[in-house]
Amino acid sequence: MPNIQGNRTLTEWLTLLLGVVILLVGLFFLIAGADLAMLGGSTYYALCGIILIASGVFMLMGRTLGAFLYLGALAYTWVWSLWEVGFSPVDLLPRAFGPTILGILVALTIPVLRRMESRRTLRGAV
Amino acid sequence: MRRSHLLATAAGLALACAPLAAHAQFAPAGSGGEPSSSVPGPGNANEPTEASPKEQGYFSGPSPYAPQAPGVNAANLPDIESIDPSQIPAMAPQQSANPAREDWVAYGRDDNQTRYSPLSEITPENAGKLKVAFTYHTGSYPRPGQVNKWAAETTPIKVGDGLYMCSAMNDIMKLDPATGKEIWRRNVDVKYHSIPYTAACKGVTYFTSSVVPEGQPCHNRLIEGTLDMRLIAVDAETGDFCPNFGHNGQVNLMQGLGESVPGFVSMTAPPPIINGVAVVNHEVLDGQRRWAPSGVIRGYDAESGKFVWAWDVNNPTDHSQPTGNRHYSRGTPNSWAALTGDNALGLVYVPTGNSAADYYSALRSDNENRVSSAVVAIDVKTGEEKWVFQTAHKDVWDYDIGSQATLMDMPGPDGQQVPALIMPTKRGQTFVLDRRTGKPILPVEERPAPSPGVIPGDPRTPTQPWSVGMPALRVPDLKETDMWGMSPIDQLYCRIKFRRANYVGEFTPPSIDKPWIEYPGYNGGSDWGSMSYDPQSGILIANWNITPMYDQLVDRKKADKLGLMPIDDPNFKPGGGGAEGNGAMDGTPYGIVVTPFWDQYTGMMCNRPPYGMITAIDMKHGQKVLWQHPLGTARANGPWGLPTGLPWEIGTPNNGGSVVTAGGLVFIAAATDNQIRAIDEHTGKVVWSAVLPGGGQANPMTYEANGHQYVAIMAGGHHFMMTPVSDQLVVYALPDAVKQ
Repeated sequence: MPNIQGNRTLTEWLTLLLGVVILLVGLFFLIAGADLAMLGGSTYYALCGIILIASGVFMLMGRTLGAFLYLGALAYTWVWSLWEVGFSPVDLLPRAFGPTILGILVALTIPVLRRMESRRTLRGAV
Repeated sequence: MRRSHLLATAAGLALACAPLAAHAQFAPAGSGGEPSSSVPGPGNANEPTEASPKEQGYFSGPSPYAPQAPGVNAANLPDIESIDPSQIPAMAPQQSANPAREDWVAYGRDDNQTRYSPLSEITPENAGKLKVAFTYHTGSYPRPGQVNKWAAETTPIKVGDGLYMCSAMNDIMKLDPATGKEIWRRNVDVKYHSIPYTAACKGVTYFTSSVVPEGQPCHNRLIEGTLDMRLIAVDAETGDFCPNFGHNGQVNLMQGLGESVPGFVSMTAPPPIINGVAVVNHEVLDGQRRWAPSGVIRGYDAESGKFVWAWDVNNPTDHSQPTGNRHYSRGTPNSWAALTGDNALGLVYVPTGNSAADYYSALRSDNENRVSSAVVAIDVKTGEEKWVFQTAHKDVWDYDIGSQATLMDMPGPDGQQVPALIMPTKRGQTFVLDRRTGKPILPVEERPAPSPGVIPGDPRTPTQPWSVGMPALRVPDLKETDMWGMSPIDQLYCRIKFRRANYVGEFTPPSIDKPWIEYPGYNGGSDWGSMSYDPQSGILIANWNITPMYDQLVDRKKADKLGLMPIDDPNFKPGGGGAEGNGAMDGTPYGIVVTPFWDQYTGMMCNRPPYGMITAIDMKHGQKVLWQHPLGTARANGPWGLPTGLPWEIGTPNNGGSVVTAGGLVFIAAATDNQIRAIDEHTGKVVWSAVLPGGGQANPMTYEANGHQYVAIMAGGHHFMMTPVSDQLVVYALPDAVKQ
């Protein structure tokens, strides 16, 4: 029986917390990444930052789209990392390790986000 | 794709440099003295005279003519007399010329400073069984309330029945080489305030007198230079001061240096003795002031301690001691590396640093520009300069040479053996020179370097020397994609830091509008650990660093605001820690801020690992790299200084050198993982390692006692390398020896 009372479960709070983390990382990526791009450096961070901000916002709205946007950003990160440094583990470590760990957590939130979405639908239907 | 992007960046920076030259600020004058309207051109400036007005700066060091502060002549010794070179008695044959198989007589074991031992009990097969035979505590470490400035860097010597060493604060000890039992100890009472950047004592020199008969006190003696600038001679049997040397065993080396304060000028390396003359060099604290005390090199009679000659860069023809109100020429390049002597040619090979105020060169004389960051061969009887080979022209990167030269024979062009000298440098360029002439044996090319730079009146030279015949101990110039971190967050921070700096590769000129990246950094390439060379196999072992620096010149106003002031300023507050070279550079228009190229929030370097490497070069077959790999694990390093415990051989910054043995092993600590290891000389495989009680920032040595081979390392730690300080000498041996 879905929880339609609106009391959030622990997993939902954790999902929202993850959304906050992704939003903050996204903001840092966008602001610092724009600085870097302006200095003639890589544009990856600014672009990725935009996706991450969208991801974080949608996750905070309890939308599954947020998680999929993150996974999209992760795919972009891997493609970019491999383009920049190839299959060098030392160089992939700073680029892809942390985002991948975060990606696993995000994947775990998909069922939670789905539940939140369906509850909203149910509530909307009431 | 990436490459073209980089080139575009380099071109952009070069273009950006042009207008900068016009906009770069002149330093405003401070409260004292007239503002300078322009910076004097190169070689155009002279040391101030007694009547010169005091220049610029809110903080400013005293006149070079001011008397020495109390405590500079630490033992209140009277002046030392001079002796004519012809009066120096013929030198007795020294053990360092041809050490007994089981001994390690000089800093680099023998007069050639090869760091090669013919001992072979310990081999790649049995090294895994090495155990601690004994440890010895020197008693020198920071006491409560003292800023940690310790890095003992000590290498004991072993002659006959004695293992002789000094503590970080210069006390001299004789130990039983088989048990580590202290036989005698000579306390020399060096004060804490005499520590310059680092409390270090690399070693003592063993000398056999030709004047004092065998069996008499001081027939065999130990000679040591101290942090507070004394040259000390003690009897090897008893540790008593030698009464016939100097003033009861001591000579005041501050004589003739003019104004100074304790801790400004120090000796940390053992003086070599060549044909009876002990040659003395000293470090002068970096970055303080343009007219810092002189970097003069001096010769003293090893029998009597009397002064023989001086090599004073701006007084090239005057080899005598200054008298009255005169002093050796100030601000000249100092030399703090261990010197190498050559009895056959009667020369001492002096690796020099650069002039005082390391990062600004417009006030240097032509003579200074000629001999800085070079190898200078000096006649040990007269003090005359025989030849000079420069490794960095008009150095403003602190590429002073920290390494000791190693002597060897190289096949010359027509097949005969040429007496050669190997000179490692912080640049990772290793120069191989004919020691009779200073001419390169392996090709050296003058290649274009970034010039003129952006500092008004201080152009860089259009070319710099590259030793193209030797493998370069460096990685290619840095690029944005070399930035590293734990996560994309700190990597992004480092990428911005990289892009915000001026950087056009090696020899990027100093700048004031924004920081510049200096790679190779001032820790090397090769530093004071020097190299070891196995003359049998022809294998040269080099450990080196990949540690870029992030530096910026600041104008005088900003320097004053940052509180940068010379050590001899009355308002100077001793700090300690941090990178060496942060300084007022008083007397120039600029101060200097020097930092590692790191993420200061995590304490991790900004560039990707490795940060330290070890390389074996086959000198007999075309100087090819035999093997090369990162040196040092991540076990004691990590973000925020937290040890990760990981056995991953990441390659850490390293300080301290190696030993190579006939047993086919290289012993080295040096890395910041606080381990000593044995490496197979021929394959590079690490066959043994052990964790030390402190950082192993010292050169190990090996010797034999009671028929067994021992390996000794001072685990003194290093304050700037951020490794734990200890006062322990740790000595290893195989179980058979340990059981005895």
